[in-house]
Parts: sequence; structure tokens; C-alpha cells
Amino acid sequence: MVALVVVAAVVVELLLPGEAVYHAGWYNVALAAFTIVVLIAGRRQFRRATDRRLRLAIAAMMAGTAIAGLAGAASGLLAPDDQTFVGAPGQRLRVESLGMLTFPLSSIENAAVGAVTLERPLHGAVAIGERPYYAGNFVLRATPRDVVYVEARDLRGNRLTVTQPSGSAFLSPVLLMQHRQAIAGMDLPFDSFSVPAAQRVVKAVMFTAAQAATLVRGGAQLGEPAVLFAVDDENQRPAANPIALSAGGRGVRAGGLTLRGDVMTYPSVTVTATPNLLATALGALLLLGGLTAAMVTSLTGRSAHPQRSPERS
Amino acid sequence: MSRYVIWAIAAAAIAIAFVVLAPFFVSPTTRAAGPQGLVGEAAPVFDLRDDRGAAVSLAGYRGRIVVMNLWASWCPPCRAEMPDLQRLAEANAGRGIAIVGVNEGESPQRARAFADSLRIRFPIWIDGAQQYGRTYAALGLPTTVILDPKGVVVRGFDGPLTFAQMQAAVAPLVRKH
Repeated sequence: MVALVVVAAVVVELLLPGEAVYHAGWYNVALAAFTIVVLIAGRRQFRRATDRRLRLAIAAMMAGTAIAGLAGAASGLLAPDDQTFVGAPGQRLRVESLGMLTFPLSSIENAAVGAVTLERPLHGAVAIGERPYYAGNFVLRATPRDVVYVEARDLRGNRLTVTQPSGSAFLSPVLLMQHRQAIAGMDLPFDSFSVPAAQRVVKAVMFTAAQAATLVRGGAQLGEPAVLFAVDDENQRPAANPIALSAGGRGVRAGGLTLRGDVMTYPSVTVTATPNLLATALGALLLLGGLTAAMVTSLTGRSAHPQRSPERS
Repeated sequence: MSRYVIWAIAAAAIAIAFVVLAPFFVSPTTRAAGPQGLVGEAAPVFDLRDDRGAAVSLAGYRGRIVVMNLWASWCPPCRAEMPDLQRLAEANAGRGIAIVGVNEGESPQRARAFADSLRIRFPIWIDGAQQYGRTYAALGLPTTVILDPKGVVVRGFDGPLTFAQMQAAVAPLVRKH
């Protein structure tokens, strides 16, 4: 019974990953204590049993509980906190304990084309979607988030290169909006980029449609998310006419540039530590197999020796 | 229980403990894979336009060694490197090597004016959405990637190259080709 509780608890950690309780000290102490109780009781029963098949069954149950208990406690005590990996379209990120994450491409016309893929050693590439994907000691899920695709042109309409010297991808025009700033009581995501050809540094602050409506007179008609651009020169001095709001991806003039920002949804990947999938499966199989074998042995033993006392089985 | 069984159980226990515990001792930190990180993989193929508006794609370059150079007109090291790329193209004419300059994020007019000012004769592609730059996780410009005749990345470089470095990078492929 206690063995079943241990394995069930670890299976629940796999099925409902990411709960804070799995990392609580009391939870893991309880898991370890239950596992030790099973091993001590199992050892006693193992010694008492005379039937070879029953001993084997008890050993399997003990091993299964130990493996699952170890997997659960290791995950609870050693595993890192949840991590979210945010990549620019087309970017490839090597995650040391997992493999290579490749983020799908996008363009000003299309949001993400395809899904994030994970390439693992000895495995093919798999698409990471909103359903959990189990990879050894981790479970991965794609979570949508808002990013901004920017385009910069000079005032004659010539397109200019956008760079992100402090971003995760230098040559990406997609701003991942990983920083936050409070403006007028609103907590807003922002990012920045450079336009080297024009010697401009641009800060972009993203507003939802509702937030944008509170900013602009008559903004209720906007009905679309918007991006506020603030343009500085390379010495961080504001350029002439430095601020403009681009709603719905429309071009605006600021700081001697024509800028447009499209808010689009793009996947990030959340990685949550779980008990090792293989170890948990092996533990559960050993426990269930041992339990079944013990019951069968017990029943056949009873029918073969009906006069024996029940405690032999 | 025989000694062999005990050893087998101990070995299995150690193996399981390793599988369960080891991943937690490697923190899942990331590092962006630069152009060198794509070595051994098929280069992504994007449909682009050249500086005269014609449709171009890497798919049309199968069977040739491709030296793909990502550049922009505002980048001084790109300007310094361009004549060496032109020299590489001329030195290897007829040897199955194609040099392609991929302008990152600028207009065709600006790219063409820049190439004309340096008397560049190899094809100039316009990557307005900076797709190659993003895919190769370029750490800066210029970035150079060399593809084998099957379109597989064999070398990747961040920063400018000299003519001698370019020759040394393509020489093994030319010998094989």
C-alpha cells in the first residue's frame, strides 16, 4: 500500500508537472521516508518468504519503489526551477541538458511559421507544442507570448538594417520584449534596437489595445495593440521629434526614421523538471509486476496448499 | 543469491541512479549557436531577390561550393573584406565556387550602390527580413558561411576574413570537388 502511494505520488509529479509542492522539504522527506519504510518492510517479508517466485516478486516491488522514490526525491531536491527559453525567429539555442531548440521563422506578413523544434542526441527533431513533451528529466511546453517585429526606413523609404547589440540575436528585427517598465501606472514590456546606418538607438514599448486607448486622445478608436518608439542618437541624446506611437503596424516618423512595429504572438518554451520518465515507468512496472506476481503466487500457493496458514502467503 | 546477481543488481542501481541524477547536475543554460554551430547541417533556404529584383535561392546552387557572406553597407569591416571576396571569386573562376553577398536588411538600391562603388561582380542578394542573419545567429557583421555542393554548412566565421583565410577555408572543398 505504501509502495503504491510512493509510485503514485511520483507518477502524479510527471502528469502534473511544475507544482511548487514537489520541491517542498516536507514532501520530499515524506517521499524518502515512505520509500525507506517500504524497503525495510520488504526486506523483512523477503527473508520470511520461502517461495522463490514470491521472493522475486517482493524484490521487484522493492526495486520499483526504490527507483520511483529516488526519481521523485532527486527531482524534488535537485531539479532547477522552471525556465522559459525565449528565442528570436530562426534562432537556435543549445540547452545543455536537453539539446538544440530551433525557433520557427516569421516575417512581417506571418506570425510564427511552424513550431519550435527540439533536437536531442540519439533522437530525431520533435515539434514542441502546447501539449507537454517529456524529455528525460524535463517536460517542455510551448507558451505563446507577444513580440514586436520592427522595420526601419530612412525618410526616402530605403529600408535599413535593424540590430540588437544587447539582444539574444544581433541581426534580428524581432524584439522579444523581455524587459519591463512602468509608465503611467502600467507595467509594460519594452526592448531596444539600433539602426547603425542612421546612428540611431530606438526604444520600443509595447501596449495592448486597451492600454494604447488610455494613452492617446481618441485612442479608443485604435482598437489595436501599439508600439511607442523613442529615438536617441548614438550618444543617447534624444533625436529631433523622438517619440511616436505605431498602432496596428502602421509606419510613423520619429527621430529621422520611419518606423513600424507589428505586435505578433510567438512561442517561447517552458522547461519544467520532472522525475525521470524512464525511471518512473520502470519503477511503476516493477511494482505492478511484482504486485501481480505476488498475488498470483499467493493464490496458487493457497489452492495448492489449502491447509497452510494465510500468513505464509 | 549468487555473487553475479548481486553485482548485476549493484550495476543496475548505479546506472539508474546516474540516469536519474546526472541531468540535474548540468544546469540547462543556453548558448546561442553561431555560424559554426550549423556545421554539418543543411543550410536553410530562403526565397530572396537579388539587387536587380530577380528571384534567387540557394536551391539553385546545388553542385557548387558556396561562400555566403552576410554584410551591410554601414559596416566598415564588411567594406574592407569585400575586395578580397571579389578576388576569391576571380581566383577560383571555373572551379565550381560561387560567392554570394547577402545584404542584411537594406534596400536593393543602397546595396547595389555599395557593390558598384567597390566593383563587386559576384551576386548580391537582398535579405530584407534579415532571415539569414537570424538563422546564423550572427554575432556581428560580416559573417561568412561556406557550404559544400550538397548545401551542407562546412565552415562558419564571425568577423572579417583575409584573402588567405578564405582560400585556406575553401581549398579542402575544391580538392574534393
